[in-house]
Amino acid sequence: MAKSQILAIDAGGTMTDTFIIDEKGEFVVGKAQTTPKDEHIGLMNSSRDALEQWDTTVDKEFPNLLAGVYSGTAMLNRLVSRVGLRVGLVLNKGTEDMHRMGRGLQSFLGYSYSDRVHINTHHFDEPLVPRKWTVGVTERVDMFGNVVIPLYEHEVEGAIQKLIDEDVEAIVISLLHSYTYPDHERKIRDIATRMINEQNKNIKIFATADYYPVRKESHRTNTTIVEAYAAEPSRETLANLDKALRESGTDFNLRIMASHGGTISIEANELARTCVSGPIGGMVGAKYLSDNLGIKNVACSDIGGTSFDIGLITQGDLDIESSPDMARLVLSLPLVSMDTTGAGTGSYVRIDPNYGNLTLGPDSAGSLVGVCNPDSGIETVTVSDCHVVLGLINPDNFIGGTIKLSREKAYQAVKEQVADPLGLTVEDAAFGVTELLESQLKNYLESMILGKGFSPSQYACFSYGGGGPLHTAGYTKGLGFEDILIPAWAAGFSAFGCGAADFEYRYDKTLDLNLAEKATEQEILAAGKELQAAWDELKGHVGDEFKKNEYTGDDVKYRLFFRMQYQGQLNDLEIEAPISAFKGVSDYNTLVKAFEDMYTRVYAKSALSPELGYSITGAIVRGVVDVPLPKIPQEPLSSPKPPEVAFLGKRSVYWDGEWIQADIYEMEKLLPGNKIGSLSIIESTATTLVIPPGFETYLDENRIFHLKELNK
Amino acid sequence: MADYKYDHKVINELVEGTLEWYQLKNMMSSHKDADRFKVYREVMQERVSWDDPILLPLGLHLYIVLKENGDRIVKCDCGHEFCDYQENWKVHANIFVRDDEEKMNEIYPVLMAPDPEWQVIREYYCPSCAAQLEVEAVTPWYPVIHDFEPDIDTFYKDWVKLPLPEVKSK
Repeated sequence: MAKSQILAIDAGGTMTDTFIIDEKGEFVVGKAQTTPKDEHIGLMNSSRDALEQWDTTVDKEFPNLLAGVYSGTAMLNRLVSRVGLRVGLVLNKGTEDMHRMGRGLQSFLGYSYSDRVHINTHHFDEPLVPRKWTVGVTERVDMFGNVVIPLYEHEVEGAIQKLIDEDVEAIVISLLHSYTYPDHERKIRDIATRMINEQNKNIKIFATADYYPVRKESHRTNTTIVEAYAAEPSRETLANLDKALRESGTDFNLRIMASHGGTISIEANELARTCVSGPIGGMVGAKYLSDNLGIKNVACSDIGGTSFDIGLITQGDLDIESSPDMARLVLSLPLVSMDTTGAGTGSYVRIDPNYGNLTLGPDSAGSLVGVCNPDSGIETVTVSDCHVVLGLINPDNFIGGTIKLSREKAYQAVKEQVADPLGLTVEDAAFGVTELLESQLKNYLESMILGKGFSPSQYACFSYGGGGPLHTAGYTKGLGFEDILIPAWAAGFSAFGCGAADFEYRYDKTLDLNLAEKATEQEILAAGKELQAAWDELKGHVGDEFKKNEYTGDDVKYRLFFRMQYQGQLNDLEIEAPISAFKGVSDYNTLVKAFEDMYTRVYAKSALSPELGYSITGAIVRGVVDVPLPKIPQEPLSSPKPPEVAFLGKRSVYWDGEWIQADIYEMEKLLPGNKIGSLSIIESTATTLVIPPGFETYLDENRIFHLKELNK
Repeated sequence: MADYKYDHKVINELVEGTLEWYQLKNMMSSHKDADRFKVYREVMQERVSWDDPILLPLGLHLYIVLKENGDRIVKCDCGHEFCDYQENWKVHANIFVRDDEEKMNEIYPVLMAPDPEWQVIREYYCPSCAAQLEVEAVTPWYPVIHDFEPDIDTFYKDWVKLPLPEVKSK
């Protein structure tokens, strides 16, 4: 056995999973009950469970670990179940209802398309801060940062005292346009700090200008509230985890997966950005893999039990969404952009009683699999039930045999609920369901790529997740991807991704630099000065954060980004600045060229509109330090013929109108270089790869399957 | 499709407005349960104090019911009987018309009401229980609107495919 290398922790609401990856990229997964009050207990139990599979112990292996990355759902759960801190909110007088009312779209965020257009279903969740803990103070700053009404300081004490008397545990201050003029927020912050100290209270203060100084009031306010409400209580949990790990002999800085696709220290100033870390792990893993394989453009697809997630890596970078939503709140966080549709292997299959057509989801049986799982209590047919009927998954070897599935139950349910009402045979009905799912996924994937201004032929497709490889051939068929890659460790890919994430901070700042098409040199230099000042300020933030883990100036690699748009247009683009500092007019021209290149790529060359003039709308700095990352497996090539030991036998599989004897292989036993034709099924404990007619696959030296559509 | 059936208790709570939001949301987001009309009609029947079988709900308090002699009439849940279902029950109701500023301002903030020269509000009340049965906002000269002229037999036969309710023999 090789040495343990990387620990990735996924603390869910009920189970804590630990993934321990060794030098060869092999990993074990441990599971234990999450212990919400003392998460480190669950973590240690889970680690022990993992290492037992390698016949070793925590004491022996933990000192070998080079890195540890945590992702957890505790913060998100606090938000969703509204059990965070008692937060008070200071807003502009007259806007005290802003948070309670919320943005209109928050009433349907996370809804299926059919519910979005069904207005009766729209609903606002309870606000995080109730109206009675919201106070207003008079001041007004316009969007250019001019003070229109000065801060009425005499109102501040009364307002803060009201919150202190209400016994709040944290105070958030959010004033209009504070991202461009932070002084008023900071003045209120200082007055509040003084009062809290004088009264010997323990109340932490969060001014939005200190945390998320970006445009969009609802987003900025929500994000800062989430920081106080849900993230702050996690600090102690994380410190305890770190302590427990160090006591077991580890010597690394525990990091957390953050929304921008990097990991940050548990001591980071802004923790709210670690709220949404779960599903992006796979994207980060795909980026790491594609970087190493030299692939520039990747479409990542992940099918789990409940959803189909896709995201793009373009020119080696993850797409970043700067105002995403989470727990039905609009936020100002850089989030790895992913699209999700509620169609997974656990999705319910129903006949619409009004129109008699087949529908999938949007709800699902999730980890309960389907009717075929006798212990689940599920009564509605799921996509997995159809897989069982068709013989695509082995009912006796599901998740390594931990759940024994009943083909009989699945068959009966598909017959009664789907086949009979449609007047089809059970097999044809089940096959129809998988085809419907695949065509939905295919449309979704294609429209996302085309919608971004690219074509699938410019992309390689990565497929991972428990259910992905089963349908990869189906949903990529005919799209013409450059290549289709399925890592042999597809099921644990998210965890691999967490372990593969850079130690990286990212800070954003909103700017409003407007320049006409033919701006004067003086105007350009003034704007450049402001842009450079913003980059310097953000570099300062990044540097300060790294200092907490004793990294200094030279250890940090900085990358500068800017956001630009044509004046008056609605959407800006985020672009890496091809310059290391803004020094003169030629640098400006370089930035404009980079912007227009990107604009041409995303929209069209004919849409270039320099006559409108340009706006620089934001500055972004990303700083990375080197940390150990998992190795990608590298094995010698063997012959195209799979070894005998990998062959598990034959099984009848129903495919497009006939029963075919499929070759069954064990994924782990296949060797690099092996070539496998159709109809074959390659099984692993947590995933199944199907090679349908018209396809073949090849396992390369990195243990990645390449799925190839054969030309007719 | 077992998970689409709602029993009488749930539908009664739906009518009462006491369902939890998530239950309501699930109900709205799912396919309409095929037997909803049947259950709903039965729940309505359980909620009223009289025995005439309900053929069709006609509003928050009104129903078209079947009388022993085969008449189909409009009836309030208090028991007040209006008229044959093909007639407009509104002309048998008590009517209150808001047609000046003073009456408008009883229900609207000042200056937020329609101009009564252009629009009046007609409220229809049950002569027995005084429940507000319907409100219409119309231009002053507009005839009383006949809201609904159902083809009950076709509805039962071709739409919900159920037999027509019958008067219970005593």
